[in-house]
Amino acid sequence: MSFIDLKGMLQPLGAVKQLFKKPHTIQYPYETNKASDNYRGLHFNDLDQCIGCGNCSTICQNDAIDMISLDNIDGKKGDSGLRPRIDNGRCCWCALCVDVCPTGSLNLTKDYIFVTDNPNDFLLTPGLDNPDAKDRLSYTCDMNTSLSLYDRVPMRELDGKERVKSFAEVVLGYSEEEARAEADRCISCGLCTEACPENMHIPEYINAIARGNDDDALRIIYDNNPLPEMCGKVCTRVCEDVCALQVRGEAVAIRWLKRYATETAPTVEMIKEIVDPKIEEPNGFSVGIVGAGPAGLTAAYYLALKGYDVTIYEAQAHAGGMIMYGIPKYRFPLESIDKQIQYMESIGVKIKYNTKVGKDITFDEIYTNNDAVFVGIGLQNPWNIGIKNEDSPGVISAIEYLKIINSDETYDVGKKVAVIGGGNVAIDGARVSARFGADVTILYRRRVEDMPADWEEIEGAEHEGINIVPQAIPTRIIKDEKTGKVIGIEYLKAKMVAEDGGRPRPVAIEGSETIYECDTVIGAIGQQADFDWLPENYKEDLIIERGKIQVNDLRQTGVTKIFAGGDSVKYGNSDAISAIADGFNAVKGIDKLLLK
Amino acid sequence: MTDLVKENILLNAVTSAFKIEGKVIRDRRVEVHADKNTVSSILLFAKKQLGYIHMNHMTCIDWIEQGEFELVYTIYHPVDKLTLFVKTRIDREIPVMENIDTIWDHANTYEREMREMFGIEFPGLVGEHDFILEDWDQIPPMRKEFDTHKYAAETFYTRPGREDAKDVREELSKRSGTVVPDFAKKYSRE
Repeated sequence: MSFIDLKGMLQPLGAVKQLFKKPHTIQYPYETNKASDNYRGLHFNDLDQCIGCGNCSTICQNDAIDMISLDNIDGKKGDSGLRPRIDNGRCCWCALCVDVCPTGSLNLTKDYIFVTDNPNDFLLTPGLDNPDAKDRLSYTCDMNTSLSLYDRVPMRELDGKERVKSFAEVVLGYSEEEARAEADRCISCGLCTEACPENMHIPEYINAIARGNDDDALRIIYDNNPLPEMCGKVCTRVCEDVCALQVRGEAVAIRWLKRYATETAPTVEMIKEIVDPKIEEPNGFSVGIVGAGPAGLTAAYYLALKGYDVTIYEAQAHAGGMIMYGIPKYRFPLESIDKQIQYMESIGVKIKYNTKVGKDITFDEIYTNNDAVFVGIGLQNPWNIGIKNEDSPGVISAIEYLKIINSDETYDVGKKVAVIGGGNVAIDGARVSARFGADVTILYRRRVEDMPADWEEIEGAEHEGINIVPQAIPTRIIKDEKTGKVIGIEYLKAKMVAEDGGRPRPVAIEGSETIYECDTVIGAIGQQADFDWLPENYKEDLIIERGKIQVNDLRQTGVTKIFAGGDSVKYGNSDAISAIADGFNAVKGIDKLLLK
Repeated sequence: MTDLVKENILLNAVTSAFKIEGKVIRDRRVEVHADKNTVSSILLFAKKQLGYIHMNHMTCIDWIEQGEFELVYTIYHPVDKLTLFVKTRIDREIPVMENIDTIWDHANTYEREMREMFGIEFPGLVGEHDFILEDWDQIPPMRKEFDTHKYAAETFYTRPGREDAKDVREELSKRSGTVVPDFAKKYSRE
């Protein structure tokens, strides 16, 4: 054995051959291990996409998620303005919050290393504190993996060919089973309540339906809406436009669920028994109401509950205003209106029919004999189309036409009808004409997607065989020289021109004159209020600007004692639910004025 | 690949031997539904006769509405590369299942976990009762009636600095100036 172990001394040098190979141990510069593709690390929230519904906070079993206000985010309709903040000391990364996020804004990332000395740093606002994590998303949820139920329970309807034969109601309503299933989809965030002009308690009544307590649902609905059957059938439902589920899927059918709740009480007695309204002792004040439309009826109902002596003066033979005379009966049957009115009368609201203010009774009389007055007259006078020969026989406004039909009178539209306009009133006029066997064409200035009418109404019209001609600008009505009757309408085709990135405007194409032969022209391009009944001295004090009465938050006009609401005032949209909101708020105003 | 010959042979072998139902889920995946008393026989048969020598996994699902627990045994054939799921249901009120750690030793670990998490008893199972949870005095936590939210709220304190949290529903009604009546509040989101 030699003192020098040559082999032992040289062997380590063999390691030199590894010098330029990729090392198996820690690399330099240091690289962390990559997490797997669906790793559940720290959260990331897309703050612009998030709508602050708070579903993540509700589902969290560890109470790890708070909803907080952030400096640069303001709430608006369809966004609560709140954003989630995670207490990572409590989070267990189960990712349920991601699975239930209706918009898909909340995700988990591959970040799993977070070191800090300060325990308070574990409170992280995802998206705000880690904006760069957007590129490292791993656990995300798409519409297939989400636990949200994005598909609406379909509503059963009469077939298009069947519908045009009669005025039978088109929408058939949800069955109990369907209603429970649809109500179950609601995540109860309440974003809808802010969009609703009347701020109805939507999540509460939907939840009551989901739990099978229809009576409670009806009671909650009547808390601030005395015409739910009407809203359940024909509401413009702006609430559904902001539903958290409609960001990626279909909104909860809020309108149909309200309809379902009202259908569980088919008689006046049942409504009264279920709602069990508490009527206060008479307080000695009386209120006169001009017009029994949705605004007037709502004000009357809640005033009567508060012990006021309420009388409504209505020019027509039926109460309901536009919902009685302006909405075709296949959308809102007469029995429905009657039931609602009878219920109101049963709790003490007095309605004087066929009493036109200014003719059968003076406004002065109402003003002097009451402690407060509410004006809800609506928009009765149609705008003129503004083209030649408009005064010929065979030209009628949609409002007048609908009123005639809804009053059970007759109007012969002939075989071919042209309807001018793109709103719900135009569609109503067209669909009613179709029910009398006419061949109907709608002429609209802009594109179909620009039509202000509900898409369901447009679709309904198409199913009923109504022809829609978009980008058509009427120029003159052609009349028979001998009889003077309408025989056609001439229109120009239009192209859409977007100026300065604004809304595209129709511009007529010269020389594109087209003639559509027809027996009747129905105009539906808007209405205005009629103030002829109002004495001059009131007109000045009321402050009427651009045809609308000016009011404050409590719907009080320039005259202390006079309140106003509905389509003829400046507030909100021109729809029934806004009118109901006006009536409801005016009650608060009248209360404040008289009871202090 | 798509004719599923191997899968159907396996399905037939098991279903005809024990007169039970089953189906081919997709390629390389077959499931059978057995009565709880025949499960150990099926597993033994699959291991000794068919070559399913490895147990991948054993798990439990709580079907609270039906009053049943579903046990799923996942076993594997390393040569044919087929996976067989043996599923059975047991009464939720009397959660007792045969111990199979004599067939596969490592089933012992899964069974101890299920005993702790679902409260299923396996007569003859050897091993400490405390498995992951220490001094657990509540109902088994993976049972669906266990209220995780309530437990977390009672057990863990809330860190200071979270007082600025807001309720979405309240914030919205405050902004729109509405009051949810008391009788409706029980239907609001908690």
